[in-house]
Amino acid sequence: MATTSFTAPKLSSPTFQTFCRNLPLSLPIPKTLSSFSFHLSPFLSRFHLHHHHPTPRFHPRRLFAVRAESENGAEPLRHYDFDLFTIGAGSGGVRASRFAANFGASVAVCELPFSTISSETTGGVGGTCVLRGCVPKKLMVYASKYSHEFDESNGFGWKYDTEPKHDWSTLMANKNAELQRLTGIYKNILNKAGVTLIEGRGKVVDPHTVDVDGKLYTARHILISVGGRPFIPDIPGSEYAIDSDAALDLPSKPEKVAIVGGGYIALEFAGIFNGLTSEVHVFIRQKKVLRGFDEEIRDFVGEQMALRGIQFHTEESPQAIVKSADGSLSLKTNKGTIEGFSHIMFATGRRPNTKNLGLESVGVKINKNGAIEVDEYSRTTVPSIWAVGDVTDRINLTPVALMEGAALAKTLFQNEPTKPDYRAVPSAVFSQPPIGQVGLTEEQARKEYGDIDVYTANFRPLKATLSGLPDRVFMKLIICAKTNKVIGLHMCGEDSAEIAQGFAVAVKAGLTKADFDATVGIHPTSAEEFVTMRTPTRKIRQSSESQGNMGHEAKTAAGV
Amino acid sequence: MARKMLVDEEMNQTNQEEAHYDFDLFVIGAGSGGVRAARFSANYGAKVGICELPFHPISSEVIGGVGGTCVIRGCVPKKILVYGAAFGSELEDARNYGWELNEKLDFNWKKLLHKKTDEIIRLNGIYKRLLSNAGVKLFEGEGKIVGPNEVEVTQLDGTKLSYSAKHILIATGSRAHRPPIPGQELGITSDEALSLEDLPKHAVVLGGGYIAVEFASIWRGLGANVDLFFRKELPLRGFDDEMRAVVARNLERRGINLHPQTNLTELIKTDNGIKVTTDHGEELIADVVLFATGRLPNSKRLNLEAVGVELDNTGAVKVDEYSRTSIPSVWAVGDVTNRMNLTPVALMEGTCFAKTVFGKEPSKPDYSHVPCAVFSIPPLSVVGLSEEQAIEQANGDVLVFTSTFNPMKNTVSGRQEKTVMKLVVDAETDKVLGASMCGPDAPEIMQGIAVALQCGATKAQFDSTVGIHPSAAEEFVTMRSVSRRITCRGKPKTNL
Repeated sequence: MATTSFTAPKLSSPTFQTFCRNLPLSLPIPKTLSSFSFHLSPFLSRFHLHHHHPTPRFHPRRLFAVRAESENGAEPLRHYDFDLFTIGAGSGGVRASRFAANFGASVAVCELPFSTISSETTGGVGGTCVLRGCVPKKLMVYASKYSHEFDESNGFGWKYDTEPKHDWSTLMANKNAELQRLTGIYKNILNKAGVTLIEGRGKVVDPHTVDVDGKLYTARHILISVGGRPFIPDIPGSEYAIDSDAALDLPSKPEKVAIVGGGYIALEFAGIFNGLTSEVHVFIRQKKVLRGFDEEIRDFVGEQMALRGIQFHTEESPQAIVKSADGSLSLKTNKGTIEGFSHIMFATGRRPNTKNLGLESVGVKINKNGAIEVDEYSRTTVPSIWAVGDVTDRINLTPVALMEGAALAKTLFQNEPTKPDYRAVPSAVFSQPPIGQVGLTEEQARKEYGDIDVYTANFRPLKATLSGLPDRVFMKLIICAKTNKVIGLHMCGEDSAEIAQGFAVAVKAGLTKADFDATVGIHPTSAEEFVTMRTPTRKIRQSSESQGNMGHEAKTAAGV
Repeated sequence: MARKMLVDEEMNQTNQEEAHYDFDLFVIGAGSGGVRAARFSANYGAKVGICELPFHPISSEVIGGVGGTCVIRGCVPKKILVYGAAFGSELEDARNYGWELNEKLDFNWKKLLHKKTDEIIRLNGIYKRLLSNAGVKLFEGEGKIVGPNEVEVTQLDGTKLSYSAKHILIATGSRAHRPPIPGQELGITSDEALSLEDLPKHAVVLGGGYIAVEFASIWRGLGANVDLFFRKELPLRGFDDEMRAVVARNLERRGINLHPQTNLTELIKTDNGIKVTTDHGEELIADVVLFATGRLPNSKRLNLEAVGVELDNTGAVKVDEYSRTSIPSVWAVGDVTNRMNLTPVALMEGTCFAKTVFGKEPSKPDYSHVPCAVFSIPPLSVVGLSEEQAIEQANGDVLVFTSTFNPMKNTVSGRQEKTVMKLVVDAETDKVLGASMCGPDAPEIMQGIAVALQCGATKAQFDSTVGIHPSAAEEFVTMRSVSRRITCRGKPKTNL
């Protein structure tokens, strides 16, 4: 435990004052220290003791002043406008700012003006998740799911004199009203936490100074949480393509839409437009959708989506977009040209918003993808500058940005150096049907553990037996053969996202297959299938499976 | 290797010993528990016979069907009707999402009823196949115990078959019962309610348990007027009080008339329908009156007492922790024992029985942390202790975390219905003692939470789990502040 402080932020030069920063604030810090090492051991033992005492959750603001004084004793006296200045009020930025303020820090956050479409000059409090991501996407998923529900309801005795028709403008108006409400709520949250909100474009001037539209603010710490934006590859006619920002706010229903990309955003929009009765074509470079997901899930979701009417064009890469005289678009690919699209959407990845932030000039290192490089505590190469969320391109999910933001606030202002924990982060794809997952894919599990047991279930849910629709559910558990631990859980089918959450707690807690088996089912649900999988579908053993590729070493090990 | 041989030896011994019995196991009743026990026992190598009454959706002394209550008259048909009924409000919600629907939506009850019956017939067939695939011999008829190792099956044509069995398992389940009030024959039970020819226009439901609440939701969802009468202040006695209040509020908001602390005193047939009188002197006219006032074990016609199998005062077969009755060769699982009357519990008891008797692995069913669901609309699901139980059992303080929120879908649909979630935590050990949720998808969400609770997960472990966004379930891992702390004073500390 005593070594805790040494695993704290990796510092380029471990000077005394930076060391101090990681220590509990309430410690009386000696004003003069001639030798660091001389005082090290009593210091550590006190830290050790303190570490085991519950720290009060909320530091009154006054306590914080004590800290500032102490630090000022160790470094040249300097007054800052704020303890923390955050650039970007999305999920990670708002979380870090609020929590920091709750811990007693004085905090400001700046954000671009609100717009549903993001750019260099527009954004909005709430960020991608609230304005151009999770929330509007999920609302569109709800809207589009109804066409499937109408079909299902027929099987349960419901009848429509006229086919239900969808009015696009009603949906857009109600969706945008909700986004306005949410951005207001986020502003309120900041306000209530005592965070100063500044509208404008923030830029880093020096390690402790931020420029917002010409006005300068100084801060002890600067946090970059500016997120990412969709990226459209530069091909002829790419100016006619739309990205996910625009796709979430189209003025009218796309009649026939091409979606380029096979990732989760592409699949989610394919489901949305298909449900809202557009003709949907998905173009993917690979043979299958969702690279990086479990192979069986990839196959299953592709099949289910195709059954719902989405047309997949595999191993087909876009080369050019041509606009014809009637305004319709053609997509030229390596395999030919498909005409008559009203819209062509690119879901070909997102890039961190690191341009024109002044980062490189103050020495913040950016990797080749444009993401800010950070250590395990979200610290950049400049010790007073930190970064969380999509701009760091670690795991680009809202709850991960929240985790990073919360961890950072603890590290900086609650004397509790905290690393975000990226193990067993669950996630969902809101395709139709949706996917929920946590832990490793079968492919990753094989690589990491060698010997694994795989349990699968592929069944027609009760609802589908009545609706007569070809809907199915696929579930999968991956078990480490040696420890019996559940190391991966995957599901595609109705309610997958909701179902996966509880299991994520179990997987994160390191529970075993026996623990799953000991749990009584909730009947009749789909989820109960996860606790009633009795026979493995396959057992994969390094010794027998790997003879071809793993070679000599593995075989010898197994033989001994 | 040594162990394997020993097992084989034992098996041979057993076989020799059992040579004089027709069966190693004879099961009376092919519902969830009976089928599970029969199949698993057969898989362990036992020779198994099972008997069941002929199939019909409405049960009686002489009617049943392979699959039992769950498949034919319980979970499955109920859930199908709940699906059907939930569309009513779902479709309403579609309008604010831009869907233009007719003012009045048509619903064809007969179609739903037919498809439901087709489905349970299909499942009945699947269950029969499961048995025959496992090598279990199925007899159609009424089973009865003649001696500790002797059963008699009366077939449809009246002929009687007699078999000896080393072990006999009673898994005859239970049946709905009617309260003894004048005119009770005018009312129906859940059996008939699942097979009504016509959808009621005005239904009266008596009872505050999950069956009452579910049928009230089904009929209301399909457009009927529903009056729900129950004895207590809130429905769902035994569940967490706060969640009971949430369910009551939701039912009321969806248009069900709640009559707490009210009983029915008399039913009278009139030209306009059934006249229902309450103990408050109210009168109302209904076309259907459902009694959901409890179920009684099917133990009467089995000749149990004559051979010495003890029953308790409710008629339930008394068993020990291994499901053994007072006669060592006679066992019982499922609702007939009235322990915890849930399909997955009967499955667990059946599995443990097979392991104990034929798997050489004495196994007790574990009743802690059994999750369950009430398929009201919206549903309730719980696992572990209620707040009241936690306070009752606690040695130290109990922390309660609650979250009440508007589900994202409602933000656009405009539906005024909050989802409520709750975690009850032991302040000292940080263990999560109970979880409950009332809102859409609650039963699906609770299953994974149940795994975590089964293994003693702590609140810290919940907190360290990253959320799935945007979902309702993520609330369970993002409850940061305690809603209240209950100091459980006056209890002696056991560790002193």
